[in-house]
Amino acid sequence: MDPKHNYNSLLRRNWSKPMSRRALLRDGAMGFGSLGLLGLLADEAKANPNAGGKANPLEPREPHFAPRAKQVIFLFMHGGPSSIDTFDYKPYLREHNGSPLPIKRPLAFADDDPGPLMQNQWEFRPGGKSGILVSDLFPHVREQVDNLCLVKSMVGEGVDHGAALLQTFTGSSTFTRPSMGSWVVYGLGSENRDLPGYITIKPALAHGGSKNWSSAFLPGAFQGTAIGHSGMKVQDIQGEPIEYLVNQGLSNEEQRYELDMLQAINRRHAAMRQHDPDLEARIEAFELAFRMQVQAPEAFEVEREPESVKELYGLDNPTTADFAWQCILARRLAQRGVRYIQCTHSYKWDQHSDLVNKHTENAAEVDKPIAGLLADLKANGMLEDTLVIWAGEFGRTPVSQGGDGRDHNPYGYTLWMAGGGVKPAFSYGATDEIGYHAVENRMHIHDFHATVLALLGFDHEKLTYHFTGRDFRLTDVAGNVHDQIFA
Amino acid sequence: MRYLALLLLAAASAAVAAPSPEDADFFEKSVRPIFAAKCQMCHGAQLQTAGLDLSSAEGFVRGGASGPIVNLEKPAESALLKVVSYDEKLKMPPMAKLSDEEIAALSEWVDRGAPWPGAEKVAAIEKKAEKVRFTAEQQQYWAFQPVADPEPPAVENAAWVQSPIDRFVLAKLEEKGLEPAAPASKAALLRRVSFDLTGLPPTREEIEAFLADDSPQAFAKVVDRLLASPRYGERWGRHWLDVVRYADSTGNDEDHRYPYAWRYRDYVIEAFNDDMPFDQFVREQIAGDLLPAADGAKINQRGIVATGLLALGPKAVAQQDKQKMLYDVYDEQVDVVSKAFLGLTMSCARCHDHKFDPILTRDYYSMIGFFANTRSFRDPSTHVSKLLFIPLVEAEKWADYEGQQEEIRRAKFELESVPEIEVEQYVAPYAAQVAEYMLAAREVYEDGSTAEAAAGAHGLDQALLERWVKYLRPTAEVRAHLAAWDKASKDERAAVAAQFAESFQTELEGWTKKLESWRKQVNRPAEEITMGIPAKPRFEPGQNRFFFEAYVAGSGPLVFNDKEELAGILQPETQQRIAALEAKVKDLEARAMPEPARACGVEDKPADEQIEQHVFIRGDYSSKGESAPKVFPAILEGLDQTPVRTGGSGREALANWIASERNPLTARVIVNRIWQGHFDAGIVRTPDNFGRMGEAPTHPELLDWLTKRFVEDGWSIKKLHKRILLSSAYQMSSAISDASAEGDPENRLLSRFNRRRLDVEELRDGLLAADGSIDFTMGGTMQEGFGTDGENSNDRLSINPDEQIRRTVYLPLRRANLPALLNLYDFGDAATPQGKRPETNVAPQALFLMNSQFVAERARGLAGQLLKQDDEDARVRTAYLRTLNRAPDAEEIDRGLTYVAAVNKQFGDIDQLDAWESFCRILMASNEFIYVD
Repeated sequence: MDPKHNYNSLLRRNWSKPMSRRALLRDGAMGFGSLGLLGLLADEAKANPNAGGKANPLEPREPHFAPRAKQVIFLFMHGGPSSIDTFDYKPYLREHNGSPLPIKRPLAFADDDPGPLMQNQWEFRPGGKSGILVSDLFPHVREQVDNLCLVKSMVGEGVDHGAALLQTFTGSSTFTRPSMGSWVVYGLGSENRDLPGYITIKPALAHGGSKNWSSAFLPGAFQGTAIGHSGMKVQDIQGEPIEYLVNQGLSNEEQRYELDMLQAINRRHAAMRQHDPDLEARIEAFELAFRMQVQAPEAFEVEREPESVKELYGLDNPTTADFAWQCILARRLAQRGVRYIQCTHSYKWDQHSDLVNKHTENAAEVDKPIAGLLADLKANGMLEDTLVIWAGEFGRTPVSQGGDGRDHNPYGYTLWMAGGGVKPAFSYGATDEIGYHAVENRMHIHDFHATVLALLGFDHEKLTYHFTGRDFRLTDVAGNVHDQIFA
Repeated sequence: MRYLALLLLAAASAAVAAPSPEDADFFEKSVRPIFAAKCQMCHGAQLQTAGLDLSSAEGFVRGGASGPIVNLEKPAESALLKVVSYDEKLKMPPMAKLSDEEIAALSEWVDRGAPWPGAEKVAAIEKKAEKVRFTAEQQQYWAFQPVADPEPPAVENAAWVQSPIDRFVLAKLEEKGLEPAAPASKAALLRRVSFDLTGLPPTREEIEAFLADDSPQAFAKVVDRLLASPRYGERWGRHWLDVVRYADSTGNDEDHRYPYAWRYRDYVIEAFNDDMPFDQFVREQIAGDLLPAADGAKINQRGIVATGLLALGPKAVAQQDKQKMLYDVYDEQVDVVSKAFLGLTMSCARCHDHKFDPILTRDYYSMIGFFANTRSFRDPSTHVSKLLFIPLVEAEKWADYEGQQEEIRRAKFELESVPEIEVEQYVAPYAAQVAEYMLAAREVYEDGSTAEAAAGAHGLDQALLERWVKYLRPTAEVRAHLAAWDKASKDERAAVAAQFAESFQTELEGWTKKLESWRKQVNRPAEEITMGIPAKPRFEPGQNRFFFEAYVAGSGPLVFNDKEELAGILQPETQQRIAALEAKVKDLEARAMPEPARACGVEDKPADEQIEQHVFIRGDYSSKGESAPKVFPAILEGLDQTPVRTGGSGREALANWIASERNPLTARVIVNRIWQGHFDAGIVRTPDNFGRMGEAPTHPELLDWLTKRFVEDGWSIKKLHKRILLSSAYQMSSAISDASAEGDPENRLLSRFNRRRLDVEELRDGLLAADGSIDFTMGGTMQEGFGTDGENSNDRLSINPDEQIRRTVYLPLRRANLPALLNLYDFGDAATPQGKRPETNVAPQALFLMNSQFVAERARGLAGQLLKQDDEDARVRTAYLRTLNRAPDAEEIDRGLTYVAAVNKQFGDIDQLDAWESFCRILMASNEFIYVD
């Protein structure tokens, strides 16, 4: 018998004092990988999600009804890509290029007078069997268009980035509210105990920063875990993707040894204090943490992917490498049961000027990785359960700004979804002739949230949390489910 | 109910009587379809542009932002008919005029009296709502009753009673047949009260002194010592900072800094340390700027700083709907004031009467009136609204400072513009030769000529030609604006170059004019520039990218800005002048007084900007309802109050009303907060909500009794602490007996003390105290600069607490980016008032203790100190005293030593220090460390 094993059993034997029934249950049932207590906790949690509290708030839970999607990958294009240059073709603009805006301009971000109408700057061509039009900015995504469900009638309220991001992610353009990912994890828990349930890769620190992935008044366990931030290089993130995940000094073996002693001390402490489940729960939290740090890093080893996958996403090309890394990582995390994942293409899409050059560069960075992700998910059979969302915080105006740019437009813009129970090869809603206001099947951000929650199996009016005298929900007092886009 | 009144006025009786069947039929067949097809996309249930909803009777009755859409007395004047006629400025629907038939139908509908089935019901409902009557239940609600002075009840176990508090507690326990828990051990009690009052563990000396003190006053002496410690204000000030959602930045948008927020934080800490009477604390935070300075000084510095409570909320400064932004700020101020001081959730009444409590929308807007007449911005109208920083010196001194700054500004402007103008003149002839240089450059980079040859052949300047070559030579970069030039064939070159040159020339003329006009404007004394000093014009690259790159951007062929280049261009006398100006600026800057202190606070709007607040229907500022003069909530002060009219915001009246002992809420709410701070649960367990959706008090008589004593004591918080701490209730053990677990599972009866987890400040400060590395420097700021930092730069990050050794309360809080450690341990978001933090237990919290460099350093620091003791038993004893604040028993010493020896044996390559570091980390990560018994 090796001395370490000997020592551990010695510690355990001598320090075990009479324990509470629950502690005994845990010790009896909770070896590595045993699910006895897990099941028990999950049942409790299902009965009352608010009480999930201290035991393990991330235990998997059933939604209100059969879900169409089980997890979400949100591809966020920070800055606001121009819908009328990407997915929302407007021949009217072609015919009236350069003529003045025929309607009263709604509240804009820019102070100066609106410029004239500016036509789409890229050709639109039909893609796939459906022949849905996609501009030349996204040739690879165009090849995947038969998987997409385009929503061309999005409406938000924020004309500045801060308000628009906040509303896109939390429903409120003003106040601090839990983010969509937090609500989803609050409702569903997470499938993987070794990884956080809600991960946001390289999020932006600007425009609200962590408020956009915070749990606000929901318990902290439901907040998004940030992997680096948008200003960081991938190689600087890889060393320690999650804060405190890596011990710089000790080997796993040394740390296990230390942990055994800690747990022995904790058990003795708990044995002398009856009726306090928190103490037991914290002992368990250390075991979970240890498993997490041993097993989680593997999820981040994007380098392990075969060359064919790297090529598919464009990891081998400097232009696409960053977003390819994010998309591959998103797929790896999704595979491992992480409930809600966001990738952020850093704040590049805000083309108040130089639209043609900069949108070209931006699209080139994400087009292939996104198409790669869709193809990969489909090939792996994951697309069925995974809802992929592509969106900016708003679109851009049909009028020019400063000659070769476009201002913010939250009044009518396009996002798309794929997989997860949405109609493939489908185009939903429409903007007016000039692409400024959504006019047909308008989908307000509240509606979008209600719809995403419905895809995940929730009645958005019933997924609530009681805080300072009120039942809060993601959709505040609004939100209509647009089930017309359900497959 | 303004809209109803207007409707009645305009629409006479027709719209509120049920329409005849014919009229209803006409509406359904001829009018509603028009609204549905042509109007509702912007004026419907989902979107109410200009506040107008034409999808329902209710929306119609309400009308739009500019009032009712029909005028039944003068039908032709109806707004609806005007806009569809396309004769006026506002044309609806905007995309295409309605057909003549449709316009005729609308016109007939108005003539018929605008019948809309259901409108009469809406009107009736609105009319009913006008009469406010509170129910008896609402009027008798406990929290709105005057504070009583109940007699402490009789109890059987009189020996347990140390304080009248104990009678209230024990009476309830005896009623349920429960016994209070045994007294806590002295060591446990000392650890408890030390963390409780100062957020720090007791030192070894303090432990030993207390254990050795057998006198009956031993514990009271400890309490006095702790209350007198400056560490006390840091702990209890932090509790208050939670309540008022303190942070150092705006949170939204670019997370703009509040550069002087820390003065408010320091004020709060000082107020607690000085035991400032709480009623005074209330008055200063709401209206300190309006109160006279305590020392008779002209400027009430402390008062201005105190209004930081109102100034430091989250703000969306880049919101372009400025009116909405301002009302969101006022709303946030009402929210924090009503929750923090009154335990009321008044913000719930922004759009409709409060659903659960008798708070009317009118009450809410009356309260808004105090803040809508208060300035929180220096200038809200700018694209990014400017925050208000108030000088803490007299106006003359600030004027002197600004005068000096103005002199510096003028000198710097001159220093910048003198060489600029001369360079412009130097460049002018070359700028006229753009086409020539482009063609010659192409010969160089495409036709194989050399710069020397081409310059010679065309009579051009060789050095400049080289710059053109460098700029025009194609690279991998996509340059759509140069595509025409790049694509031009040899034959086309000259023509294309001429086009480029022409557009360049046009742009140059415009740009030069713009610059000249700006220079003229700016080169005047600041007081003449009434609209503020305009920013230097920026050439928008998109306007003409070629011109921008060639003439404006940093490395363009016609841009000369580095020192060496300039030396070759500028006349000697100009260079002398520049040197003189540089010296002047340097001298002015050296002589200028340092910037006087400023604060993030609020001030009254000037008299000519004072407004009368109205109710906003459904919270929409564009739908004004009845006027809402400044009065206090009707449920507390009645429906017939004389409005506050001070000529200013009236905040001092609001402050006095809140800080009055007649107010049934204020004193109760703070007493409850203090109680919660000691017992980890309030007598009312929802400290920010004393309304119906909050929890009822577990010991209402005790709450009132304590509140009475608190007010009698001159609102002294320290006296309240002491009264509570010297009770048997506080000194109970946290052990949970079977009977207590069974009969009082949530400890609502206080059958035991609540074991609690350290909060994040206690955890971090406690770790720093354990190895003794903590830095007790008080006050001041740890960050520099204001406004925003560069996008995504590391400066935007909060200061990493893992790299600091000052107490956690002094670490700056940037709302958009709170440190990971704070997020991990339930700190909250610093954006909403938070009277009680949640307590979660998740694995990543353990990772911090297991893996962080911060904890490793603390453990190593302590281990190093242990190794200075030769006696190994003594090392374990010290380790326990420093971390768990008690001596270990024999078994624990034995196990500790066994562990250290075994680690050494098991992992041969580690040394003594490593082994002891591991042992110290175990103690720091243990449940006993993080839980207070």
